Amino acid sequence: MGTWARDKSLAEALPEIRRGIGEGVFPARVFNDQEVFDLEQERLFSRAWCFLAHESEIPSNGDYVTRYIGNNNIIVVRDENGEIHANLNMCRHRGNLMCKSEMGNASHFRCSYHGWTYKNSGELIGVPYMKEGYNGALTRKDWRLVEVRVDTYAGLIFGCLSPDTEPLDQYLGEFKFYLDFYLKQGDSGSEVHGPPDHWIAETDWKICTENFTGDGYHTPVAHQWGFALGYFPSSGSTHSQGWAVSIPGKGHGIGLGHSPDFPAFGGFPDELVKQMRETFSPEQVSVFEKVRTGVGTVFPNLSFLMQPFSLVPGGPGVRFTTMRLYHPVAPGRMEMYSWCLVPKDASPEYKDLAYKAYTLAFGQAGTFEQDDFENWIKVTKSAKSTAVKDVDFPYIMGMESEFDPDFQGPGHAVVPYVNDTNFRNLWTRWGDYLGGDA
Amino acid sequence: MERALVDRDLLTEIEQFLYREALALDERRFQDWLAFFTDDVVYEVPVRVTREGNAEWELSPTSRIFDDTKETLTVRIQRLDTDFAWSEQPPSRTRHYVTNVLVDSTDVDNEYLVRSNCFIYRSRGDEPNPSMYSLARRDTLRRTGSGLQICRRWGAFDQAMINAHNLSIFI
Repeated sequence: MGTWARDKSLAEALPEIRRGIGEGVFPARVFNDQEVFDLEQERLFSRAWCFLAHESEIPSNGDYVTRYIGNNNIIVVRDENGEIHANLNMCRHRGNLMCKSEMGNASHFRCSYHGWTYKNSGELIGVPYMKEGYNGALTRKDWRLVEVRVDTYAGLIFGCLSPDTEPLDQYLGEFKFYLDFYLKQGDSGSEVHGPPDHWIAETDWKICTENFTGDGYHTPVAHQWGFALGYFPSSGSTHSQGWAVSIPGKGHGIGLGHSPDFPAFGGFPDELVKQMRETFSPEQVSVFEKVRTGVGTVFPNLSFLMQPFSLVPGGPGVRFTTMRLYHPVAPGRMEMYSWCLVPKDASPEYKDLAYKAYTLAFGQAGTFEQDDFENWIKVTKSAKSTAVKDVDFPYIMGMESEFDPDFQGPGHAVVPYVNDTNFRNLWTRWGDYLGGDA
Repeated sequence: MERALVDRDLLTEIEQFLYREALALDERRFQDWLAFFTDDVVYEVPVRVTREGNAEWELSPTSRIFDDTKETLTVRIQRLDTDFAWSEQPPSRTRHYVTNVLVDSTDVDNEYLVRSNCFIYRSRGDEPNPSMYSLARRDTLRRTGSGLQICRRWGAFDQAMINAHNLSIFI
């Protein structure tokens, strides 16, 4: 019998599920369940800092993108003074969707229903028949677009629907140390190469989140074709080498894969390596220079992956970085957003090569992404089947893993890379939110 | 109004060429399919974004779903030939419907701009609901010593959010 007995509601089972995570079990059913989805909407996505956009997606005043937090559509915009705002994409008058595009540039948003008009920052400035209709009873400043808390870190724009959640800086905590590797490549940092790939899949967002919190374990099998064609600088026999680092109490985690004889900062152009050696702290350099594959997640649903990849097997690897957001739309169903990040200061040739490596490996047609999603839709389907209702999965790998005393980064760092430690930390934090303790 | 500047024989030849290329894909003869492309082929599928009608672009000038050359298309085919390409194991059953073929001459001798619509039906496993994709294609065909070949394939999905867990097939 599993930690979520089949006759129990989620509310009844949650204490037992949370206890099980610490002991290394987690119920299959969690990955495709209506009650779980509903409680996540109410207690997790309504309270956590959720990723909205990268600043380089809205570089000029008036630029906007529309994104989601949970089931809330949000306009993320740079106002006429260059300040970033996030507002619910809903007219305050009768609730119509204000902005129907995914991206664009606008100084104002005008509702297509009764014509209420807002500055791009969200203040209501135009109400038709203000005098004849409202006769002074309506005060514009009381009816601005519903504002969402917004804050940024190194180009990432996050939003939070709760006023009580800790500030973003604390929320990210020690994970910022690792985020810098993706976001501060070179003196001017990273930027998006373009708008994200965007697709819908019969997959639960949590499966993607878990995989990208450092699942080095799946790589030699799920992506075996890459080893078979001779793509990887690691071989199956040395693939377990590296670190799993989790941030206790936060849910964030990263897997740092290392290969024997891997050249320091391998796959980056020399000029960029020089800049990174100067701008990163000595501790960051000590950790980052050894990393072949860096795959990590900001709790709950924003992930990054970086590694060298060559367009043909055995070629010199070029380092690409992808950023991905898993937007849950129903139990076992999500929208995927996948971006390629490139260092702003890098040459156009490097950016182009890195982008080509990204599209060959990731994005909807990417040769690695393809196989991941094939597996994930099957996991999602299994999780819904009746016989699986009270079946647990094992999360005991690395229960006894030892802290690496030579590792210079923050958080709980263990070896080897192949490890469930990050996942236990991830699901523990998930349990905190669902149990109302976060 | 635009008028085709090519004769009926050429139009028929190009239509038959496109149908044979689609047949190679649908019969999963991927090595044969590669031979339909020149060695310098550019194979591109841009990312579509939902935007206002007056926006400068809807198809991203920088983001692409496929951004391939003959070299990388060959890698994709080699991958399918391993026993570990899980996304196509068991394989998708596809049917490419190519219609609305328009042929225009170009500034380059022996190269033709060929526009077509492509509708792809994709069935997987015992899943009763097929995936269906509608695309606009713009190919450049070149007459070489060995007959016609595609030196540029460009296809744009009509969906901005594509209804497929992956694209392990070709367009």
